[in-house]
Amino acid sequence: MVQGGESVKYTKFLVPVTGKKADDDIVRTACVLARRSKGKVYVVHVIQVSRALPLDAEVEPETQSGENVLANAEKIADMTDSQVETEILQARETGPAIVDEAVERGVDMIIMGLEYKKRFGEFDMGDTVPYVLRNAPCPVLLWRGPMGEAEA
Amino acid sequence: MNVVIMGCGRVGAQLAALLEEAGHKVAVLDTEPYSFRRLPAAFKGTPLVGDGTDEEYLKKAGIEEADAFVAVTQGDNRNVMAAQIAKHVYNVPKVVCRIYDPIREELYHTLGLETISPTMVGAQLLRDKVVG
Amino acid sequence: MYIIVVGGGKVGYYLSQALLSEGHEVLILEKDAAKCDAICEQLGSVVVRGDGCEARTLAEVGTERADMFIAVTNEDEDNLVACQVAKHKFKVPRTIARINNPKNEALFKKLGIDVTVSSTNLILEHIQEEVPTHPLVHLLTLKGGDLEIVEVKIPPDSSVVGKRMRQIVFPPDSVICLMIGKWGPKVPTGDTILEADAQVVAVTRPEAEGALRAALTE
Repeated sequence: MVQGGESVKYTKFLVPVTGKKADDDIVRTACVLARRSKGKVYVVHVIQVSRALPLDAEVEPETQSGENVLANAEKIADMTDSQVETEILQARETGPAIVDEAVERGVDMIIMGLEYKKRFGEFDMGDTVPYVLRNAPCPVLLWRGPMGEAEA
Repeated sequence: MNVVIMGCGRVGAQLAALLEEAGHKVAVLDTEPYSFRRLPAAFKGTPLVGDGTDEEYLKKAGIEEADAFVAVTQGDNRNVMAAQIAKHVYNVPKVVCRIYDPIREELYHTLGLETISPTMVGAQLLRDKVVG
Repeated sequence: MYIIVVGGGKVGYYLSQALLSEGHEVLILEKDAAKCDAICEQLGSVVVRGDGCEARTLAEVGTERADMFIAVTNEDEDNLVACQVAKHKFKVPRTIARINNPKNEALFKKLGIDVTVSSTNLILEHIQEEVPTHPLVHLLTLKGGDLEIVEVKIPPDSSVVGKRMRQIVFPPDSVICLMIGKWGPKVPTGDTILEADAQVVAVTRPEAEGALRAALTE
């Protein structure tokens, strides 16, 4: 943070996790930043529910893997001696769900990860990150994974 | 036979020419007069400007006396609608409808329309050329 | 209820907004990407880009669990096919089609669409209730104010009775849109014969109103 000047205080962080490699880094970053401001970290996992099902349908394997993803985030937080609040969200689309959650919780920053990924031979950010960048009311910190690793 | 063809593209025009050669009486409907250039110069049938989903133009084309109706415009949905009018409103004995989308074709086939999907037929022919 | 709306134009948009406010689960299918973005911005995640006539798209959006399927695009043939696919392939219990050309109403019913809504016919019903015996009635002033929709009842003693439309000289910028005669509403063509007591709906300029009335009633 800025030393000597008026540093902007960020106290509430929203961290959407997906179960990919970036999770560890963004959760850790959020915890470190929150500790400095004695702030709070909300870790959420969004399950995208197919329109073939009602929004509140019980989606078992997804819920189970979501819980594992959140448990991993708690473990990372533990390692930085921090506490995080976790939640699973069911939504039709991930981007709007993240933005809605940020608004509802009144967070000051969203910290999200992005795998370096190619689609049809070109770098591709998917839909979620651009949506959040375009629509989030608060600052967004984006952690892009290293090139090469995630390329299948 | 009296045949009404809706759509004067390559297929519609070619079909009109073939049917006329075989001695049938043909009327061709198209919304675009420029399309009729595809008909043979000596075509003796009736080219008519009009929308084949509109009963007024179907009547002008002689749908009430038609023995067969063929829908071959570029629009699957237009073809489906016109074919259903011909079949269910005017009881034309033979109605054939082109539907590019194979899934839609299958559905209307099960609903009793005589349908052809050039997508399916074309892909199969090409496959046979490639691996046959 | 889960309601699928095909077509994200004005009708689809406002209809969906109303259905959402009543607490229904609504999904709009729209082909145009820009319209999808605009709807998403206003109404949230209730829109999917796709063709409402394509079975694959309909399967993805869970049409088989839809309680109602409403097709309100500007194209009658698209509304017809979308509803037929929903009804026969996905067994949606209630299908509703918007009809742009009133001539198609009977056809759609015959082809199994449960409910048809024709805005032209809705307006006409109101007209029939409200029309007094004046020969020319203002129905609507169109955007900008220099065009209006009027209705003229053809008196039995008018010289136009029995004539074809093309034989009548109308003032410039006047278009006869609809004739409601003994056999119901009809979009007139040059061959249409004017009947006594028929109601004629026309678009005209305010300054041509008098001439239009004269052309039809004298």
